[in-house]
Amino acid sequence: MDLDLAHQAQAGDESAFAEIVRRYSPRVFSVASRFFRQRSLVEEAAQEVFLKAYTQLGSFEGRGSFEGWLTRIATNTCLNMVRSAKRRPELTVSDLTDDENGWLDQQSAGEAGEPPSVENTVVAADLADRLLSVLSPEDQQTLLMIDGEQASVKEVAEVTGWSESKVKVRAFRARKKVREAMEKLLSYKGTKVKSLAE
Amino acid sequence: MKDKHIIELLDSASIASLSKSELSEVQAHARDCVSCGSAYEAAQLSEVILRSRAQVTFEPSPFFQTRVMAALREQNAVESVPAMLRLWKSARALVSSMAVTTAALAVLSFVLPAPITSVVETSVDSAESFILDHGNDDQMSYAQVLSAIYDEGDEAR
Repeated sequence: MDLDLAHQAQAGDESAFAEIVRRYSPRVFSVASRFFRQRSLVEEAAQEVFLKAYTQLGSFEGRGSFEGWLTRIATNTCLNMVRSAKRRPELTVSDLTDDENGWLDQQSAGEAGEPPSVENTVVAADLADRLLSVLSPEDQQTLLMIDGEQASVKEVAEVTGWSESKVKVRAFRARKKVREAMEKLLSYKGTKVKSLAE
Repeated sequence: MKDKHIIELLDSASIASLSKSELSEVQAHARDCVSCGSAYEAAQLSEVILRSRAQVTFEPSPFFQTRVMAALREQNAVESVPAMLRLWKSARALVSSMAVTTAALAVLSFVLPAPITSVVETSVDSAESFILDHGNDDQMSYAQVLSAIYDEGDEAR
């Protein structure tokens, strides 16, 4: 059915392509949301993905799923967009907002087991973005999928087109970097709290 | 595993993917080892924030489909312009600047005199005559010939 739609769209049937956009927008938005936190950027990326997909419709042969094919285009398009953006400098404790500091204190005090509120999820997501900014876009994507979404190494390999061993290496490297950055942040924070108490 | 550091294990897999027995061994070691303890705490927090980040997704707006279709029509309209016309449009500026440069070079070559060339020719002529005048002198060395040529050249300049 997807193959028929793709053929019709390729032949110039606008309504067929409009149906593709309607059907797969949520999936493309979900992929773009991994890379961007601003709605405008997510929309821009998603539009770019569909325009690219339209020009490449001829390369979809129906061997795999249309969703998988589109997800791959979405991932590569977003990676290219992120690569061209400037990377932020390393995060230090003085860069943390009051909310982020409060969230870290709450977690260190052992309240991690409680279900997070919407506000806390947003604060934690902000902190994640800051920590992830120490990684390359490729490593960010890998870690977010594996540790954030519990995707398998195979799934990441399919979406990105990388080999499974490459995905494993990227995940290891990214996890180590993020863990070290967090450890550094916690130790700075501990020192600061200690010096304030003295 | 209790005596074995766990940092490498923490980096090689997410905590969520560890089995119950692996996790209890990791926790036991982290309680006794200060460096592994802080690494474990950081790994736990990193995973919590990554899961929170993964939850933040956007839904397409109701106008998204219309927006994409409009962009697609625009893209198709641009592509429907004949290729030669598009090429001409983009190359027009380059062709104009090349024409101006060629005209300027033509004016410089054919209209204005070229004084430098005549100076060089004069100096070469004087050097030739100097050497020929001393042509019968078998004692003139190669160094003398060269210095005669360069001295003449310098004087002419």
